[in-house]
Order: sequence, then structure tokens, then C-alpha cells
Amino acid sequence: MYCCLSQISSSNSLRKLKAIHQSNAVLALFFSVSNLYLSLSFCHCLSAPIEPHFTECVSRDQETFRCWWSPGTFHNLSSPGALRVFYLKKDSASREWKECPEYIHSNRECFFDVNHTSVWVPYCMQLRSQDNVNFFNEDYCFTVENIVRPDPPVSLNWTLLNISPSGLSYDVMVNWEPPPSADVGAGWMRVEYEIQYRERNATNWEALEMQPRTQQTIYGLHIGKEYEVHIRCRMQAFTKFGEFSDSIFIQVTEIPSRETTLPLTLILVFGIVGILILIMLIVVSQQRRFMMILLPPVPAPKIKGIDPELLKKGKLDELNFILSGGGMGGLPAYAPDFYQDEPWVEFIEVDAEDADTGEKEDNQGSDTQRLLGLPQPASHHMNIGCSNTVSFPDDDSGRASCYDHDVPEQDTVMLMATLLPGQPEDGEASLIVERAPTPERGERPLIQTQTTGPQTWVNTDFYAQVSNVMPSGGVVLSPGQQLRIQESTSATEEETQKKGKESEGSEETEGKKQKEPQFQLLVSTARQISTPPISPMPGAEYQTIQHPQPAETKPAAAAEDNQSPYILPDSPQSQLFAPVSDYTVVQEVDSQHSLLLNPPPHQSPPPCLPPHPLKALPAMPVGYITPDLLGNLSP
Amino acid sequence: MPGNIRSVSAVRVVLLCLVFCRRLTIIGAAPICTNGQAGCHVLSLANLFDRVIQHSARMHGISNDLHSEFEQYFLPSKNQVGRVSRNCHTSTILTPNGKENAQRMAREELTEVILKLLVAWGDPLWHFHQTLEMSDMVHELRKGVEKVAEKMQMLGIIVNSVSSQASPEALLPSDSAEWRLMKDYDLLYCFRRDSNKVQNYLKILKCRIVPEHGC
Repeated sequence: MYCCLSQISSSNSLRKLKAIHQSNAVLALFFSVSNLYLSLSFCHCLSAPIEPHFTECVSRDQETFRCWWSPGTFHNLSSPGALRVFYLKKDSASREWKECPEYIHSNRECFFDVNHTSVWVPYCMQLRSQDNVNFFNEDYCFTVENIVRPDPPVSLNWTLLNISPSGLSYDVMVNWEPPPSADVGAGWMRVEYEIQYRERNATNWEALEMQPRTQQTIYGLHIGKEYEVHIRCRMQAFTKFGEFSDSIFIQVTEIPSRETTLPLTLILVFGIVGILILIMLIVVSQQRRFMMILLPPVPAPKIKGIDPELLKKGKLDELNFILSGGGMGGLPAYAPDFYQDEPWVEFIEVDAEDADTGEKEDNQGSDTQRLLGLPQPASHHMNIGCSNTVSFPDDDSGRASCYDHDVPEQDTVMLMATLLPGQPEDGEASLIVERAPTPERGERPLIQTQTTGPQTWVNTDFYAQVSNVMPSGGVVLSPGQQLRIQESTSATEEETQKKGKESEGSEETEGKKQKEPQFQLLVSTARQISTPPISPMPGAEYQTIQHPQPAETKPAAAAEDNQSPYILPDSPQSQLFAPVSDYTVVQEVDSQHSLLLNPPPHQSPPPCLPPHPLKALPAMPVGYITPDLLGNLSP
Repeated sequence: MPGNIRSVSAVRVVLLCLVFCRRLTIIGAAPICTNGQAGCHVLSLANLFDRVIQHSARMHGISNDLHSEFEQYFLPSKNQVGRVSRNCHTSTILTPNGKENAQRMAREELTEVILKLLVAWGDPLWHFHQTLEMSDMVHELRKGVEKVAEKMQMLGIIVNSVSSQASPEALLPSDSAEWRLMKDYDLLYCFRRDSNKVQNYLKILKCRIVPEHGC
């Protein structure tokens, strides 16, 4: 590339020489312009007269050519034959002007056929007037190869190459044939082509690169738009283009691609069918393992409850803690005002008692005592426990809850007292909580009696089923299956009451029985509760929870085997025994894990009885006051 | 005058370089095997013709670019063609002036005409500018055409041996110093014309000797 290095070194000299030549050219141009101006200035016209002149000489095939002339402003010379064409070929020594071999006056054209055409030979054309007098000066000189303008290519057509994956653009291959007049095959003319295209409504043409092949690709056309394409050609290494061909129009509209969706749907259908068949096979074959995989067994609901382990001996603290809502495993703590709107739902405050202490006389705060209006051993005898702060966080277990504070406590107390008419008259609480004396243990059943005199209440914080409601407002507890009145004065040990378990009702107690074989309770499952007399009946309302024999509560006769020291009611009383109620309020659990149920006291109805009598109402569990009762109860 | 010519020659360097450095990569003339050269397989006549024609096409392209750039830079008046003074030094060589004339001409004559032209242009181009490779290209083309002539002779296509053995200078007319008087622009003009002639003659020759469709 040393030539280029020399170029760099001689750039300065180039500029100088260029300047010199340019100045020469400028001088020549100036002179020519001045000449023209002078010639034009003679006329004093706006439009200077234009002499007859040749418009163009064109060859299409480099073998013939034709020239056109124009008379200019000399209209008197426009008639055919007024002007004559002479030419001069400078190929030989003979330099003589010859006249046009073939005139086409209609076109003002002079045609030179093959015999009169010589390539690479300078021609000069001249116009003369008919009488050969005026020679129009301007000579039009050329060589034939420099005036070649090939005809436009023919057979222009297009084919779609591909469409882009986005479906927005496509490529097109355009084909054509060389012009038939140009002898391209023999190589006499070597032609290169130029394609131009534009959108239908655009004004500017896009030109592709010139190339000698007879096909070309147009890239990046847009789907949906219409394109116009035309082509022209010229001789290689020459400058004059031929005419443009006629335009063709290209348009590709969107093709809905159905092919891609069809196999997809097929695959989906076959896949689903195959999977279904597979499942059917597995189900039919009863393969245990596959069945487990396909159709896993539904797990049993797991109710978040209290761990049964806590119900065992010695864990009452945790149980209380849980039941009171603390801890993670605690029962959900309801808002205190959850039940505020429902006055009939009454919570009974449960006193947590220490099982080991075995306090018996912790019934002072027992709700049942408050319920029944009995004088409490403690000061708060009138405190039926209707404190509004009682917010026992337990579900509706049916316990007697605190009345609405609208209700006078007095009445409530009286009502409460009447709720448990079936208290033993002897004032002995006959909470019979027994434990089945396991042979190995040889424990004696415990019978708890309350011999506290007027205070015969044991903690009856849990339920006793109300079998009837007295007109006076008292509530008759449903009689147990048998009245078991403890006669023995064996010390009863009270144990902490079960809170949640017994409140569930007999069904749950039965269920519980299964879990706690240590306990034996006599349950009264008196469903048909006859309308017992409203008057309290001794021992008729006992509730005894039977320990589990198979999950049905049996008459207390079954318990006879176990416990001897029951006090059987009198037979006439037994008639009055309605079947055992569903609910039982377990007051306490003694040290020997016997559930103690308080018998209702037998004293006179508490002074808090509401004045108006109550209608005879169907027996209901102790502690419950149904809404219709409520209407009767409220003053 | 000589000073003027020399001052312009520097300009020519630029012009030719502009064209050449572009085209240099394009021109990749395949070497034509000489007799006895190892590792070189003999090419068919058609193939030889193709190579030669390709070469001549490139040469013509370069000459055209040179001429047009020269014209563009120095703005000569349009009708330089009409100047009578233009007289190429190869004007004395009789060349067919049309397709029919070239086709009617004997192959040997045509080949000889081609060779004469190529010979005639070797020296002037070298003198035009020594560092340019244009004269080398002409020489290469001439050698190629000579090879083709030899091949044709071997094949018995042409009878008379082309005067390739004769010294190139013998082909030129006696007044060979005429080309020195030509102006640069005329030189380029004449070279452009003659390269076009060579290209066309070679094509016609090939079409006559190696028949293919379209001829």
C-alpha cells in the first residue's frame, strides 16, 4: 500500500495542483458564461432564443442508436424536413459530414442502424437548416458505448422467502429477466441492476445495491403493508441508467398460524387421556400403594384441644393454665365481650383448685352456690359471680354463666336456687363422683357429702341438666338415674374441678370415660325427662356420671356393683326419676380422681326467686336458661 | 510542458491510489501456471477464459473509476469527446467497431488485436505512474491472453500462432512516442476505451470458441 503512503506525502502538492487546475477551470467557466451572457444580451428578451439542438442520443443495445432533436424557439423550423441531421464519424481519416441515414420525422428522430453504428468511435451530430446555410454551432459528440441506456428488465416477479417468528416482517426474493434487446448472453453488454421499492403511499424510493445478478432479496418488509417495486439497469462501469420497469406490488397479509395450535391441542388431549387411563388402571388394580399416592386418605380432623396427658394426675396446673387461655397450646381466648350481647349465655367462674391440697371447702366461689343463691362461706355470697369481669375463655359449654347485670342479682340468685330444685333436702350435697375402684388399687369409692349444714353446696360449677322449670321460677334438675346420696361421711376430698371436659355433655363424658378409665361417674342420661314436679325432690336430680362401661350411660344400677355406699332413693322417688340428664356439672375432682357432683340442696327455694311463677318448661340442663325461659325469668 | 506533466503526475498518484487502494483487494488474479510448474493443474480453456475475462472486467472498472474521478476533480468541459485533438496512440490498431464486426473477425485476428492492445498499454501506464499497479495489471492480462492463445493453438482452434513471440515493441507503430504527448486526461480516456474493447473482444471470443447458451 505504498501508493497510499505516497498519497499522504503528496497531499500538499495535490492541493496546490488542484488549486491550479481549478483556477484554470474557473477561468474557462467564466469565459463561457460571459460568452453566453453576451450572446443573450443581444436579445433583450427574458427568454433567450433557443437554437435547434439535439435533446439526446441514446443507444439501447450498443449496436444501434437514435438521436432526437428539437427546434427550440425557432418554430418556423419545426416542420419536418426543415432541419437536417449530419454526423461525423472520427474513425478514419475521412472526416466528412454525412446525413442521417434514417429519419423519423414524426418523432424528430434520427435512427442509426447497425451498419451505421460504430462503437468506440466518436460521433458528432449537427443540425443544419434545409438549405444548408445555417449551421447550428453546437456539436453534439459522443461515443456509442457512453450513451447506452439499456431497456428495463422484464418478467419482474417475487416470491415469499420467510416470515419472521414474530409474524411482523417477511423477506421477499425478486426475480427478473435481462432486457431482451441487450445481448447479455454473448457478453456484448454487461449489465447491472438496481431495485427500488417503497410503500404504497410513500414518496421516497428505497434503492438496493447494484448487482449484476438477475435476482435479489428484499429484507424486512412489513406484514400487511403494500409495497411497490421496480427495477432498472445500466452498463457496468458506465453511468447512464435505462428506464424503470413497470412496478409490481407486493403484499403479504397475516396468516393465522393454525399449524402451531393444532399439534398443541392434540398433545394436550392425548396427555389427558393417557393420564386418565393410568389412573383408572391404578384404581382398578387396587394397588394399595398407588391408591395411597393417588387418593390419599382424608385425615381426621384435629381439633385443637387439650392434651389428654394434662388430664392425668398431677397436671392440673398446666391444664388450668391452658384453659385460662395462656400459653401456646391454649384454647383460643375469646374476647370478653364476645358473649356480652347474649345475656342468656352465662359464664360460671371456675375456681382453679389445687388437686393436691384437696381442699374441700373451696366452694365458696362456686358458681352453683351463687347460682342457687346460697350463702357463700365467704363474704361474697351475693356475688353470684355475675361479675362482668368474668370472661371465661371457653366455648359455649353450657355452663351457667353470669346473668346479664341488668337482672337483679337477687332474682338471679333466686332463680339459680330454683334451678336446682332437686337438691337433697337434707342439704347434703350429693355430688357423686366415684371412681371405679380398680381391683388393684382397692380404692374405695369416694362419696362426697357436704355436711356443712346450710351450706350444702359443693362446687357445682359445671352443669346439671335442668329437667323442668317450676312456675315459681325454680328449675328442676333432671333427675339422675338414681339418687345416690352419700350417707357415709367419709371425708371427701375435693379435687379441682374439671372444667372443660365435663362441660361437653354426656356424649363427651362418655367419650372421656374411655380415655380416663380411672374415673367412674354416674351419668344421668335421662333423655325423656318427664315433667317432674317442680318441687324439689330429694335426690331426684342427681347427676351421676357413670364411668365407662361401654359408652352408654347405664342406670345407676350398673354402678351398684362398684359402689356400695350409694344412697338409693326411695322408690317413689325413683319413679320420679327421670332419665339421667345429659349434662352434669362436675364440681370437683377429689384426690382420688373422682368427679364430684353436687346434689342440689333441699332447702327452701332461695329468696331470690322471682316473684312470678314460671311456666312448666321442659327439663333442661342445669345452668342453661334458654331464651324462652329468659323471657319468663326476667322481671 | 514536462514540468506541467510532472506536476500533474503527482496528482495522478493520488487519483490512481484512491482507486487502486480500493480495488487492490478485489483484484486477486489467479496465477496462471507456466509449463513445468509443480503443484499446478492445467485449467480448461473455458476456465482460462473466465479468469481472463474477469481480469479484464476489473481492469475496465478501474480505468473507468480513474477517468471519472479525474473528470470530477478537474471539471473538464462536457464535450471533450468532440475535441479533434484527442487521438489515442492505439488508434492505429484496427479494431472491430461493432458486435457483428467482432463476430465476423477470425479468431486469430481477434486474439491478435487483443494482444496488441494490451501490449500497447503496458508502457504508457508505467510511465504514467511507476508506483501504480495498473501497468502490472495490464501485463498480467496480456500474459493471460497469451496463455489462452497458446491453449487455443494447442487445441487446434487457431491455426496461426499469434505473434506472441515477437517482441511487444514490434507491434507498436514506429511513432511510439506519440503517447508521451497525450495529456493525462486523454490517457485515461483512451485507456478506458481500450479496456472496454478488450473486455468485449474477450467475451465475444469466448462465446465463439467455448460455446455456451446465450452466445
